[in-house]
Amino acid sequence: MVTNNTTELVQISHNEACMSPRPSFFSHLHPPTLPAREARFRHTFGLGGIALFVFLVLCLTGALELFYYEPSLTGANASLQTLTFLVPLGGLVRGLHYWAAQLLVATVGLHLLRVMLTGAYKLPRRFNWLLGLGLLVGVLLLDFTGYALRWDTHISWALLVGTNLLKTIPVVGPVLYGMVVGGPELGASSLIRLYAWHIFGLAVPVFIVIAWHLFRVRRDGGIAHPSATAGEPAPARLTRAELVQREGLAALVVSAGLVLLAAAAPPALGPAADFAALPVRPTAPWFFIWVQELLRLGEPVVWGVLVPAGILAVLALWPYIVDRRPDGAGQWFSRHGRATQWLALGLAAILVGLTLRGALR
Amino acid sequence: MKLRLALPAAAVVLALVLGWVAWRTVTAPRPVALTPSLTGQTEYCLTCHQGIEQISAAHPTSVFGCVRCHGGEPLALDKTLAHSTLRGGANPSDLAVVQQNCGGAACHSGTAADQNDHIARVMTSVQATYAGAIANVYYAFGAQPDLATRFGIFAVAGVDPAGQPHALAALPPAIQPVLQKFQINCLTCHLSAPAKNSAGFRRLTGCAGCHSLSNAAGTYTGTDPTLARNQPGQTQAQTHTLTTAIPYNQCNACHNRGNYDLRTMTFNVRTDQPTDRLHDYYQPIAQCTKCEVELDCVDCHTADEAMGDGTLHPNEASIQYVECRTCHGTLTQPPQTKTITDPNDIALRRAALNTTVPLKLGDTIVVTSKGEPLWSVQRLPDGSYRQVSKVTGATYTIPQVLGSKCLQKPDEQASSYCHACHAVQR
Repeated sequence: MVTNNTTELVQISHNEACMSPRPSFFSHLHPPTLPAREARFRHTFGLGGIALFVFLVLCLTGALELFYYEPSLTGANASLQTLTFLVPLGGLVRGLHYWAAQLLVATVGLHLLRVMLTGAYKLPRRFNWLLGLGLLVGVLLLDFTGYALRWDTHISWALLVGTNLLKTIPVVGPVLYGMVVGGPELGASSLIRLYAWHIFGLAVPVFIVIAWHLFRVRRDGGIAHPSATAGEPAPARLTRAELVQREGLAALVVSAGLVLLAAAAPPALGPAADFAALPVRPTAPWFFIWVQELLRLGEPVVWGVLVPAGILAVLALWPYIVDRRPDGAGQWFSRHGRATQWLALGLAAILVGLTLRGALR
Repeated sequence: MKLRLALPAAAVVLALVLGWVAWRTVTAPRPVALTPSLTGQTEYCLTCHQGIEQISAAHPTSVFGCVRCHGGEPLALDKTLAHSTLRGGANPSDLAVVQQNCGGAACHSGTAADQNDHIARVMTSVQATYAGAIANVYYAFGAQPDLATRFGIFAVAGVDPAGQPHALAALPPAIQPVLQKFQINCLTCHLSAPAKNSAGFRRLTGCAGCHSLSNAAGTYTGTDPTLARNQPGQTQAQTHTLTTAIPYNQCNACHNRGNYDLRTMTFNVRTDQPTDRLHDYYQPIAQCTKCEVELDCVDCHTADEAMGDGTLHPNEASIQYVECRTCHGTLTQPPQTKTITDPNDIALRRAALNTTVPLKLGDTIVVTSKGEPLWSVQRLPDGSYRQVSKVTGATYTIPQVLGSKCLQKPDEQASSYCHACHAVQR
């Protein structure tokens, strides 16, 4: 009977659980409690959360910009001038979109660095590591297409070089070029393509992958942390309310910073692009200056395509081929992840060095 | 900081930042829209330039706006962006950009028959090419074998006074040191050269060099709030206006400022400091008659003389042809005249641009030997000749040689012969 009763109790409890509403996505991301050490600011610097908030800001401000932006040769730059100077608070919205985009690239880059330096990509988070790398590429392409949609004299070199790089890719290059440029050379159809890529080809997929990435964080056992050792007292836990409050604080601080930047340092805007009269000095957006510097070294397909793609491939395969053991996951500068740490800091140093060299040139 | 303190503190910071943005938005100047009827494209230049003078009655702001002539970004309210695509900076009439800004069949590059070919005429005029001065100096220093004009300030093609095709090449940088000095020190008065930055020399380039007046100090005295007043500028007009009422001192920004010394290849600025018009008008060595002192240069020198007639003349003497007899006649001939019967007569068009001179259909005006109208000189019904100053509107009765005691010989009509008796004491 006892056995039967126990079985019954378990069944009742299971049935109640099934009949109760499924936890929302919010609840999934915010469990009733979580170990406080996972949520320590110095453990993650809140970079993933800040990136998510900034992405939501981008969605909101981008949606507002949709009401004014015209993806046409005569309308693109003029509609941005209208938005910036003539629409009430339009300049602020555009400034928020611009600065949020720059902050997103920066936080995503630092987030990647943090993940590498804390060994957070290791088993069982290898798949989420791949999703994260995909998001990095998506964010960079989003920022580049957004930059190109300005369609002013400042972007003309970068767009020309960027799209011509596509052409150099063996086999698929011409097809990719056609998909982005929409014709034999940059023109009216390119604006439509870039516009569609920016919103439907990039922002929507990135939105979906972000949700997946976040889902996987909890599904993989929360933010990477050292496994508990036997005999250690149970770690302190943080409640859902405290977690939400911390997120709110980060959102408030980031919001204040973004509004301040948008108002005090409005994004640049030049006259309409003219690809027949390019500016004397080629310029790339800040996050691709390192590619511009690489291109100075030789063959465009090698330095502009294969080298960046190679870096990405190495990063993607790293936890599958080089660093397959879970030791040291969730620890800053663990002795088990020295090779990864050298790789991360080495790559960061090269990218920052190339960027500084290009910026000071 | 504890979370319960940090949250409200961050909220206050955000509220303060939003408040600052709201204050900036509320206190920012309201955009001022203008939709010129010619372009139909709304522009916002007047947001900053509200109060600027209308450039001329022939170019009403409501019709032309700003961008049609100046270029620039019509929607931008940021100074750098708004001005980034200006053509010719503040001066759209600079000869490097005048065709783009002021040209067009309906504007200033029409046909010679319609007298709307202003740009083509100016581009071939000696004021723009400086071809004669270059040819003379290059010949004098052995750089070319004759006085034929070969070079201009810019390359231009046309016909010479004999009607033969003629082209000037752009003047290349000189190799001989003396010609290098000539190019640096002496090529300063053509219409593409910026003025010397000193009192009395200030003027703009291109059409505005003559038609936009500069004062001696080179200051702006108009009502555009963005232009600094009382700050001398090298190439700055007194106001944002074009005029055909051009006083002599505008011409004197280039003419009568001094002399070139070909030995040292320098320009010696005249050292006298005249305080009256008699002495200011011409250099001390020059002779002049009363009318040459009292009238302004444009009262006698015609549009063809000043702006060119579409021919590549080799020098100033070749294009100047108005003589004393054009208005005063000779012992045997009164001045040539014509009665205006065509409502589209060029004389009426020019008079309409210069409201100081009343002229109407049916009036009889003096014409030059080439048939150019001297539309400010009329023969009145009583047979007398009246000149109205294009600049001041003052009227003068023109003494006639016919029937006078003048001792002139029929073949001595150059001004030097008239100066022999009629030069004023200086």
